[in-house]
Amino acid sequence: MATIAATSLNIGIQLAVITSEARPVSLAGPVRLNNPWNLGSRTTNRMAAVRPVKATPEGVISDKVEKSIKDAEETCAGDPVSGECVAAWDEVEELSAAASHARDKKKDSDPLEEYCKDNPETNECRTYD
Amino acid sequence: MAVSTIYSTQALNSTHFFTSSSSSKQVFFYRRQNNRRFNTIITCAAQQTVVIGLAADSGCGKSTFMRRLTSVFGGAAEPPKGGNPDSNTLISDMTTVICLDDYHSLDRTGRKEKGVTALDPRANDFDLMYEQVKALKSGIAVEKPIYNHVTGLLDAPELIQPPKILVIEGLHPMFDERVRDLLDFSIYLDISNEVKFAWKIQRDMAERGHSLESIKASIEARKPDFEAFIDPQKQYADAVIEVLPTQLIPDDNEGKVLRVRLIMKEGVKYFSPVYLFDEGSTISWIPCGRKLTCSYPGIKFNYAPDSYFDHEVSVVEMDGQFDRLDELIYVESHLSNLSTKFYGEVTQQMLKHADFPGSNNGTGLFQTIVGLKIRDLYEQLIANKATAPAEAAKA
Repeated sequence: MATIAATSLNIGIQLAVITSEARPVSLAGPVRLNNPWNLGSRTTNRMAAVRPVKATPEGVISDKVEKSIKDAEETCAGDPVSGECVAAWDEVEELSAAASHARDKKKDSDPLEEYCKDNPETNECRTYD
Repeated sequence: MAVSTIYSTQALNSTHFFTSSSSSKQVFFYRRQNNRRFNTIITCAAQQTVVIGLAADSGCGKSTFMRRLTSVFGGAAEPPKGGNPDSNTLISDMTTVICLDDYHSLDRTGRKEKGVTALDPRANDFDLMYEQVKALKSGIAVEKPIYNHVTGLLDAPELIQPPKILVIEGLHPMFDERVRDLLDFSIYLDISNEVKFAWKIQRDMAERGHSLESIKASIEARKPDFEAFIDPQKQYADAVIEVLPTQLIPDDNEGKVLRVRLIMKEGVKYFSPVYLFDEGSTISWIPCGRKLTCSYPGIKFNYAPDSYFDHEVSVVEMDGQFDRLDELIYVESHLSNLSTKFYGEVTQQMLKHADFPGSNNGTGLFQTIVGLKIRDLYEQLIANKATAPAEAAKA
């Protein structure tokens, strides 16, 4: 069954093309028609559901780095040569390294490539040689 | 004590039997004919794992050296598919890179309680490290723990299959003597304090919460442990890549131009050091001149024999930066003993990863050369191990 997201006005034109094998060709995405009277509604064609904003892993690590720096400064304010102070700064270093690796990974990751690595058999990821 | 299992196969002639002795990985064919046994011994080349150790302070992950090294062998190294996304392990066709942080015995909270850094040997389980590296070297798969750098906890173990080349990367590959003896080749990345400071500023200034003081404090706090536990490992390394500030620019504190020294131990089996012009001589070479025009500050090479922690070593040193492809190929054509398979292989490898940091200076050049040396070592080791059992069977 072909599903087409149509604009608010009823479109009389038959958009699903039925081939001889009675398999309808579906048009991907919402239909854009050159009707000057509803140019305004074209721009308001938004997704109904808004995706909730999640803290990205990069944001999580950045928060951790910030927190660990504050902790280290507090710990070391008391006793600069104690083991706790040294361990606290070591934690800062470890988290900074993790943050920079996450940044590098994000910089050269392509969302499509990531998806296709795990799902090579889906339509978007099929390669035809 | 040989444990043998006797199989009788239907495919072969019914008079044939074979046993496989799992300890020596040999297959014996017994053929019974007229109550007399004829033995034919066929030896399968058991997987020989070559173990390389890399000591570096930056912690583990997809560090540039590892990517260059795995690229020399072909293929890109990736984390194991379908496993823990925070795994530190990298797997390619021929190599597996294991991060030694996975052998931490104390997780982040544990270390904070005890007041020890990750650099301290008390935070690492060297017994487990030794057992697992030994097992992988003998061709046995292991369940290796995972240290999650994001959460700071020890996650559930992952299965590691024995690869052809195993690289163990981290803070203490050469610390424990037993692990050191398992290594076929070891490398130490020695970054001088000024360069380390400059690199850490580059890395961390973009991070929220960090300031120049916090970066400095972090380096200073870790210095005592680093000098006590990590730095001494460089005396055991077969190759040391030392990164220092440049001598070409007076009073340079940007740290962009680097002076890199490749210190290669003499007398290491299957490893022949790189040299300039003539082995054992002392050469100072500036390639820029009539044939080659370089931009400021140019390039300067040095080669000399030396003594490093009471060992005989050869040192090749490069100061400056490459601007253009022809500088790189010119330099490559004058270096000897590079273990390349064709003319221009070093240049090709450097260009393949032109976006990696250090691709225009000695760090990239020497990392690539060490990668080729490791490939050469691997091939020699394999060839040697293949001929040894054939000779034993003949005897």
